[in-house]
Amino acid sequence: MAPSHKSTKPAGNDIRAFFGGASTQKPRPAPKATQNPPNGSAKKSAIEISDDDEQIPPAQKASSLTPTSSLPPKSTVSPRKSDAPVPMPMEVDSEAEPAYKKRKKAAALLSSDDEDTPPKKKPAPKPRDDDTPPPTKVIRKKPTPLFLSSGEDEDEPPKKKKAVKPRLSKSKRDDDFVVSDSDEEPVAKKRPRLSKSKAESDVSDSDEEPVAKKRAVKAGPSKVSGKAKGKEEAPAKPNWAALKAAKLAAPAAHGTKDVPDGAPNCLAGLAFVFTGELSSFSRDEATDIAKRFGGRITGALSGKTDYVVLGDNPGAAKLAGIRKHGTKTLDEDAFLKLIATRKGSGKVDEKTAKKMEKEREAIETAAKEMETRERKAAKAQRSNPTAIDPSSQLWTTRYAPQTLKEICGNKGQVEKLQQWLKDWPSSLKSGFKKPGKNGMNVFRAILITGPPGIGKTTSAHMVAKLAGFTPIELNASDARSKKLVESGMNVNNTSLDGYIAGSAERDGVKITDRTVLIMDEVDGMSAGDRGGVGALNAMIKKSKVPIICIANDRGAQKLKPLVSTTYSLTFQRPTAQMIRSRIMTIAFKEKMKLPANVIDQLVAGAQSDIRQVLNMLSTWRLSSDTMDFDEGKSLAKMNEKYTIMSPFDITSKMLGPYLFSATSRETLGDKMELYFQDHSFMPLFIQENYLKTEPAKLRNFDGPMKQLKSLHLMDKAASSISDGDLVDALIHGPEQHWALMPLHAVCSTVRPASFMYGSGAHYGGPNSMTFPQWLGQNSKQTKLSRALGDVQIRMRLKVSGDKSEIRTSYIPALFPHIVRPLIDVGASAVETVIEKMDEYYLTKEEWDTIIELGVDERKDEQILKKISTATKTTLTKKYNAAQHPIPFHKASDLGKVPKKLPGGPAPDIEDVFDMDEPADDASDDEKSKDSDDISKDKLIKAPKKTAAVKTKSRKSRS
Amino acid sequence: MSLWVDMYRPRALDDLHYHQGLSARLKSLAASGDFPHMLFYGPSGAGKKTRITCTLRQLFGPGVEKLKIDQRVFLSPSKRKIEVNIVQSNFHIEITPSEAGNYDRVVIQELLKEIAQTQQVDLNAKQRFKVVIINEADSLSRDAQAALRRTMEKYMSNMRIILCANSTSRLIAPIKSRCLLMRVAAPDNTEMQTVLTHVSRRAGFDLPPDAAQEIIQDSGGNLRKAILVLEALKMQSPDLSGPLTIAKPDWETYCQKVANLIVTEQTPARVMEIRTKFYELLSHCIPPTVILKTVAEAVVSQVDETLKAEIMHWAAFYEVRMRIGSKKIYHLEAWVVKVMSLYKQSFYQFDISEFE
Repeated sequence: MAPSHKSTKPAGNDIRAFFGGASTQKPRPAPKATQNPPNGSAKKSAIEISDDDEQIPPAQKASSLTPTSSLPPKSTVSPRKSDAPVPMPMEVDSEAEPAYKKRKKAAALLSSDDEDTPPKKKPAPKPRDDDTPPPTKVIRKKPTPLFLSSGEDEDEPPKKKKAVKPRLSKSKRDDDFVVSDSDEEPVAKKRPRLSKSKAESDVSDSDEEPVAKKRAVKAGPSKVSGKAKGKEEAPAKPNWAALKAAKLAAPAAHGTKDVPDGAPNCLAGLAFVFTGELSSFSRDEATDIAKRFGGRITGALSGKTDYVVLGDNPGAAKLAGIRKHGTKTLDEDAFLKLIATRKGSGKVDEKTAKKMEKEREAIETAAKEMETRERKAAKAQRSNPTAIDPSSQLWTTRYAPQTLKEICGNKGQVEKLQQWLKDWPSSLKSGFKKPGKNGMNVFRAILITGPPGIGKTTSAHMVAKLAGFTPIELNASDARSKKLVESGMNVNNTSLDGYIAGSAERDGVKITDRTVLIMDEVDGMSAGDRGGVGALNAMIKKSKVPIICIANDRGAQKLKPLVSTTYSLTFQRPTAQMIRSRIMTIAFKEKMKLPANVIDQLVAGAQSDIRQVLNMLSTWRLSSDTMDFDEGKSLAKMNEKYTIMSPFDITSKMLGPYLFSATSRETLGDKMELYFQDHSFMPLFIQENYLKTEPAKLRNFDGPMKQLKSLHLMDKAASSISDGDLVDALIHGPEQHWALMPLHAVCSTVRPASFMYGSGAHYGGPNSMTFPQWLGQNSKQTKLSRALGDVQIRMRLKVSGDKSEIRTSYIPALFPHIVRPLIDVGASAVETVIEKMDEYYLTKEEWDTIIELGVDERKDEQILKKISTATKTTLTKKYNAAQHPIPFHKASDLGKVPKKLPGGPAPDIEDVFDMDEPADDASDDEKSKDSDDISKDKLIKAPKKTAAVKTKSRKSRS
Repeated sequence: MSLWVDMYRPRALDDLHYHQGLSARLKSLAASGDFPHMLFYGPSGAGKKTRITCTLRQLFGPGVEKLKIDQRVFLSPSKRKIEVNIVQSNFHIEITPSEAGNYDRVVIQELLKEIAQTQQVDLNAKQRFKVVIINEADSLSRDAQAALRRTMEKYMSNMRIILCANSTSRLIAPIKSRCLLMRVAAPDNTEMQTVLTHVSRRAGFDLPPDAAQEIIQDSGGNLRKAILVLEALKMQSPDLSGPLTIAKPDWETYCQKVANLIVTEQTPARVMEIRTKFYELLSHCIPPTVILKTVAEAVVSQVDETLKAEIMHWAAFYEVRMRIGSKKIYHLEAWVVKVMSLYKQSFYQFDISEFE
């Protein structure tokens, strides 16, 4: 008993600490008290218990605890003792007040007990049953942490029950008591106490003593079980920080609903489509739930879709799809109900059952096949001790595909590769002239590209083996510089004899014309492999054996030379479906229990990297042979690859409808993290695209109100962007306040997006996202500004204005003199125009600049269109033919290197001053000396004399 | 033939038509032999540069009018080449450090020291010092201004500095305290009238007073603009009688169009359209403050009386931000959205400030 007590207490504290976070605790109780009577009491009890803890110093507590185990005979009030033996100890030395508290604790124990007896009745729904209006605030708490619910079990319902028990039937009483309690409590603290003491006495009178005892006894184990449950479910719960943030952000019902405990795989075989925003789950959570119970999620509606889960503001396309296919729709509650009520895979419809059966069989046969193969290998090993024991190998090698059938995905590509290799000898004979079916046969080499872990190397090897070739692989672990590639491959030696001589002895590979060279990780030919790619390319051009190059990124600069000489074969990431059965086979073989949805989860987490999935599984296998959905999720999360999103993707996410929606789980930090993915581009992208959305915040408005609010949101976003620019100026200004980066993230990116988020700004469509104009416009401005500078300095001898004056006043004024005549008069006006230009030292170049600087109807294209080509050529010719005044020669024009002033760090002015000062003094001194010696200047002498006089006088005085 | 504005520019202090008091003071300063550093400030087109050149002529004689342009290359601390154009005569040198952008400090330090450390070579020169004119002094960076401080004191014997700026607000106090401040205010209407009549007389025709008034109204105190407009008008209609339509410069009509866009429709699409137009103006070297001012004035002329103050308030607000910030378009756009929002609110008579 004692241990049970002990364990509850800290748990209670923990809960309070979690929720109590000072700030949150306060606001919550108030509404509760008004809304929901039982909660009022709950709050009270919570507070009082905490008081309790404070009041009793640890030592006392300890002393009080010890007696617990053996019911202390000391106790003053016998009825109380009998009432609740467990908490009693405290009472021992305390008076009336503590006694009351104790009771509460007893209640806590009892209640948890209660909860356990009817297994189906959960604590959460109970209060809802009791009072008709479901108090949102309270319930919201419920689903989130199991801890909490268990905590509540301890604190709140118990009290009710305890008080009720002594009287008559449970449920009826429950209500009565609750109501009265709530009434009394706010009024005065004492009164409830009184009533309670009454209740207490009732209890003492009643003959339930033994029952209570029993319950208390039971409480111990029950608690434990509750805890265990908590642990089990804990991983499914979102982390606390996220939860808090979500709570703050979410206006309404976020997390108000509990995910029912459906049978595993109860949704198996069902295809779901989600659309719109659910009220209490984010999209991710909802899809996760569906996946957890074996459902399949598809993005688009089709005839095969079983259910559409509709949230608020569903997509128009989806609605049309529903109408078209007559798909059943569910709202959030119905969806949860479906999970709760639908029986597990036992009741899967026939088709899916058959399918599953088939899958299972396939897996088993595949596993068997594997088994036999392995046995064979083992046998071979016995006979040949040099071979490696398969069980000691990594899973990735051990379960590497052995047949083409086992390669997951990319069937077409593999077939192509196979065909090419098969045709290779004949292609060689024909001199690579016949393109063949796929047009591949004109290439001596193939370049396979694709992300890591999808079987590129494996496919290459296997295809080579199956086609009867011997693969020789060179990868990044081999040095592949130009020299080595040339000499090592013996490119110039047609017979490859040199190579054979070296390698044949080494590992017994006989190199013949049936050899295929696999150059793996070509993009890894880096600094150390200088000229490697070029040499490889040269080799490809002459090669008499097929070459397969493998790389990750096709667009890499390094692979440019290979593009023209190789046939490019791009491997795609296989889908989860393609990988699933293979992984399941392996899991079966390894005697692991892995549901399909878990595998999908892993595959999605690893981004279809089969190698990584296998590695994850082999590690997992060391500790456990089962994995449930949540474990799989966390494992995938742990092994998540850090992906860099493109600014377009980030913008789409930022301004998209989900990141800032009520059900979003992203914290402010997560949102800022998006800015930091590319902090120089993101603000530009947001500024460029923030007006292209249909803000989600305007959904509920219409007509003028919508326009007004739209402008209001735009205003806020724009002024935030303006703020962001000020921060940016501080960051990139002379003082470089880089610490302001997070502020910049918020001002320039997160905040504008938080106003303007909504559907709309995506790829394609009329309002699609665009690359920021600012970059282009800015460089154009710099260019034109420099050109304007040239104009200004040429005109400088005549004109006093600065650059902007030239642009705003002179260029419009010069226009009628040097451009308009060419339009109006034509070629005959060229001479007067040139005269005018010479007046201001303008050359043809500057004339072009002046045209280019025009806007509106003086835009360069329009003006140039108006001037006939003949006039233009006359202008150029005549200008070039004549001599023109030149205001100055540009240093760069003369071809001489301009005189450079000494560079290096510019000297500090203060320093210079200090250094010069003594020098000046020195020269002064010298002068004075000179004057002393030679000229006996009056000015210098005078002060000296006085000084001398002074000293004399002083002396005389002394 | 140059444009009139350059052809009939006064060359001596005595020829100036307005601010006679200032001319007299400059004259006596030039004669005194104790010539201080000076800071000329005032709006553009008021005659700052003209007065500076006249003063120089007073100091050194007509020799200062023999200008030559030189291009110098400086190396920034990061070894970047900075090209700066230098206009000089035998007696003075004129630089525009803002050409060097962020590296104006380097230019100031190198160039001024170089000039200051050499003495006047021409023995016949009237003065023993040389003059350095720094244009666009109000766009000097703080570093460059700090670099000026000591140089101004230390090399006083060899060099005088004349700063030329539109406003003194961007200059640090130590610089201002080292200079004699010369405010060149924009000419008032009668003064402009005198100048315009003078110019027209020199050009050989009589300017009708109506036309003169028209031009003065349009130019807004900018004499340069007024004379340029006068010449343009004269080209359009040689007799300058009857109703005159002063052709606005291209960018001004463009700004007017932007203003019309703002007033006619207030939607996100419209803002993006305006953004494109702003980019167009900015990239064609129209100063952002000029854009904001012109557009704001055009908008104000088209809206309700009650909105005018608000719109101007926000224009001023965002003008400050443009100065402090780096990407002007953001602030221009923010202002446009603000104005649109205000306009729409007044249109529907609805105060939205409570909306969250």
